[in-house]
Amino acid sequence: MLFQDVILTLDRFWADQGCLLATPHDSEVGAGTFYPTTFLRSLGPEPWRVAGIAPSRRPTDGRYGDNPYRFQYFYQYQVVLKPSPSDVQDVYLGSLAALGIDATAHDLRFVEDNWESPTLGAWGLGWEVWMDGMEITQFTYFQQVGGQDCRPVSVELTYGLERIAMYLQGVEHGFDIEVAPGVTMRELRRDFEVQHCRYNFEASDPELQRLLFDKYEAEARRLIHDGLIHPGYDFVLKASHAFNLLDARGVLSQTERQGYVQRVRRLAEATASAYLAARSQLADEAA
Amino acid sequence: MATLLFEIGTEELPSWYVAQGRRALIALAGERLREARLEHGEVSAFATPRRLTLRVDEVAETRERRRERRRGPSTGVAFDASGAPTKAAIGFARGQGVSPGALVVDETDRGAYVFADIETGGEPTSELLPDLLAGLVRDLPAPRKMRWGDVEVPFVRPVAWLLARFGDLDVPVSVAGVDAGGTTRGHRFMAPGEIEVRDIDGYVAQLRDAFVLVDPVERREATVRAITEAAETEGLGPVWDEALLDEIVDLVEWPTAIVGRFDARYLALPDEVLATVMIHHQRFVPLRGPGGAIADRFIGVSNTAVDDPSTVRSGYEAVLDGRLYDARFFWDADRGKTLAQHAWGLSGIAFQKDLGSMADKVTRVREAAPRLAGALGASEESREILEHALPIFRADLATEMVVELPELEGVMARAYAEAEGVPRPVARALEDGVRPVAPGGPLPAAEAGAILAACDRADKLLGFFALGKRPSGSADPYGLRRDAGALARIAAAHDWSLPLREVLATAASGYEGGPVAIDAGVLDATTRFVWDRVASLLAEEGIGVKTVRAATAGEPSVASAARRAHLLRALAAGDAFPELLTLYKRAANLAEKAPEGVAPDPDRFEAPQEAPLHAALPAAREGVEALLQSAHDQLPAWELGSGPAAPPKPGEGLRRVLALKDPLDRFLDDVLVMVDDPAVRANRLALLRETRDVLRELGALEELGGEA
Repeated sequence: MLFQDVILTLDRFWADQGCLLATPHDSEVGAGTFYPTTFLRSLGPEPWRVAGIAPSRRPTDGRYGDNPYRFQYFYQYQVVLKPSPSDVQDVYLGSLAALGIDATAHDLRFVEDNWESPTLGAWGLGWEVWMDGMEITQFTYFQQVGGQDCRPVSVELTYGLERIAMYLQGVEHGFDIEVAPGVTMRELRRDFEVQHCRYNFEASDPELQRLLFDKYEAEARRLIHDGLIHPGYDFVLKASHAFNLLDARGVLSQTERQGYVQRVRRLAEATASAYLAARSQLADEAA
Repeated sequence: MATLLFEIGTEELPSWYVAQGRRALIALAGERLREARLEHGEVSAFATPRRLTLRVDEVAETRERRRERRRGPSTGVAFDASGAPTKAAIGFARGQGVSPGALVVDETDRGAYVFADIETGGEPTSELLPDLLAGLVRDLPAPRKMRWGDVEVPFVRPVAWLLARFGDLDVPVSVAGVDAGGTTRGHRFMAPGEIEVRDIDGYVAQLRDAFVLVDPVERREATVRAITEAAETEGLGPVWDEALLDEIVDLVEWPTAIVGRFDARYLALPDEVLATVMIHHQRFVPLRGPGGAIADRFIGVSNTAVDDPSTVRSGYEAVLDGRLYDARFFWDADRGKTLAQHAWGLSGIAFQKDLGSMADKVTRVREAAPRLAGALGASEESREILEHALPIFRADLATEMVVELPELEGVMARAYAEAEGVPRPVARALEDGVRPVAPGGPLPAAEAGAILAACDRADKLLGFFALGKRPSGSADPYGLRRDAGALARIAAAHDWSLPLREVLATAASGYEGGPVAIDAGVLDATTRFVWDRVASLLAEEGIGVKTVRAATAGEPSVASAARRAHLLRALAAGDAFPELLTLYKRAANLAEKAPEGVAPDPDRFEAPQEAPLHAALPAAREGVEALLQSAHDQLPAWELGSGPAAPPKPGEGLRRVLALKDPLDRFLDDVLVMVDDPAVRANRLALLRETRDVLRELGALEELGGEA
């Protein structure tokens, strides 16, 4: 199955489950969880179902394309269902079946994984889904997001698309994935990957990133304070990415790193509480 | 009577909770059945990652009947002036389910009250069970519960189904958004769909047919068998790791072993790294060749018995390859720097916010360790090893490999040190210095490493105690009990004769420049804390708490206290022990009144019974020393908690000690100690004190009596 057919199959499957198909957010994020369609929408009481591809960047995970599984730029497929349905495991397994994965021919398992995003002030309980020992999906019941209790609880399914595609295509390196007929991931992404690894690990300007972080942070604060929550949150994402770049560059001591994590988390928490306050004001006005 | 079966079907539980949840279910069910006054037979439970199942045999059909007299209002309140029952009395009667006319009056200490005589119990168990079983789901203890959907009852993982059967009846339990039915479910993939449970006794077998080994003992046996057989076909032996096995057993319902291989070029990594990557990341069982080295093969335990294992195998192999690739990446990257260079990174790793970074901590150990070596009279060789090890002690904490796989701390210090050409004894000391890693884990093998490890633990204990962060009750968030236990075990195993308090006082020298002050109070509290661990380790060796108190009196070393404890126990098993205790008690009775540090003066002896007692003391002292020496000779240093190979045989020393009896009896029976003449009195008290002190070398015998 072509990489793009994996995406199309999941889109079709989750659309049939009543999900809105969302387009990727146009800002660097470490994971689909940072998308406003996940982070903000998992807050508050309104039901919500969304699915879609979520390109993500984690500068520290880069291996110059040498490791067959690890890339600093990769594709997640992100599904959020609020409230979490009682048959969500079965529905998820149905999505694997739609991809042609026969559960009786594999060792499929739900292995405990307590997910936590210190920068988002978010945590949840759930599993890594293992297929033959490989983690193919992160399956999380959000308990808190942005420091706020989740009521009702959303479930987040994050598919590791490269891994699943490698499996389906029987290739041993992420670059060997066939994306479209005759087009491999190597052609699409190799130069991008190697150059970004060089940038992340060797060429980025740490002083600039520190400066940018400070500016982004201040701007996020100002905007959130003024009720411009969505623009403010964009700057939270930018600050988070600046921190990730500093982290990859290896210039942060453990204590310093902790400090940056705290600062991003405080921004995320400020965003979450401003968002909830604005939503409840809307509800009051409607009532 | 009928059997009760209650299965809580769940989405996959964390593997560590499967066994814990099973025990918790047994305990909670027993408690609730008792509270509900339901007589019953054995309470047992089964558990897999997808279910916790309670079984209670011979549950009574009705609640136990009981007659009770319940007190209502006082007669003043219960009856009006005409003697008719008031609203209060009528209300009370209604509440108790009796008519107002059935209330009786009885006198109590506090006056006359009305009472209702009622009989409780007899309700059908089938009516009590729905609430009782729902309560088990609501209240089952777990360290961390979660919510899902809009269900209000938290549980460890979402509850998926409930099966509740009492004899032939389905019990209508409704909790956590689920209504109970009469069905269970088999293996998620091999037997999907609901299964009607025909009868309770057939539950285990029915699930076995549905590819679920619900009994954890049976599942463990099946897992061990599958791993052993798979290893044998390869001519290799499994690396048995109990924690890994526990985890594997509770990750599957139907264990199926599958052998895989990895690229032999990864064998260049240290064995511990290979084993840790396989265990930590993938829960694979590493395999060893006949020579003991890790082989390029492993066993994965699948939850599903697939027709063609090649797909699963190649999946296992591919994912392990990625992990080993990373380990290799770290191994190469870390060796790009020396440990001395990595040590610079310790300043960025926090130890505790008021005690500084790991660099600060290691600086303190650098100060303390040579002093402890001096105080212990360590060998020249050990001191030299220390000198080389200290600048790079714990530097591996800053390496990528240890950041990624923290359980490899120490192991990586040794491996990287050897790779950069550090002499082997120094490399070994670096690994020894973080031992024991687990509470029962191996101790530092050589002296230098033991000194490092002791200073490291003592530094933590003293620092946390100085900050007032001592464990209270069962809460020990910083793991200080583990550190204290480690320190005690090291001191005992290395047979350090330095008193425990001195070991800690020497280690405290690292704090001379701050950041906290270690005063006598902190030192005392820390010392007592370590003695508590010694006591609990000795308790594991069967030594009673009083014997420990007797043996640890007078600030001895850990090793000598442990030997004294075993000597006292051996003495207590002998016929002459009561005589020794009597002897001690008689001598000690007045000894406290003696002035401190004054020896008896033979020139001041007046009564004829004084000189013979005084003259008998040297022989008694030799007897005591002979006893202690025999314990020392017969008990080579051992691992605290596991006990010496054999108890000591006290030998003839005791006879020499007991020879004091005659002169002491004569002295105490015939001579008045508390005479008016202060000089004579003081001299006689000093003689008693010296007698007591000779005996007290065996321990604080006043603690004993009645206990072996």
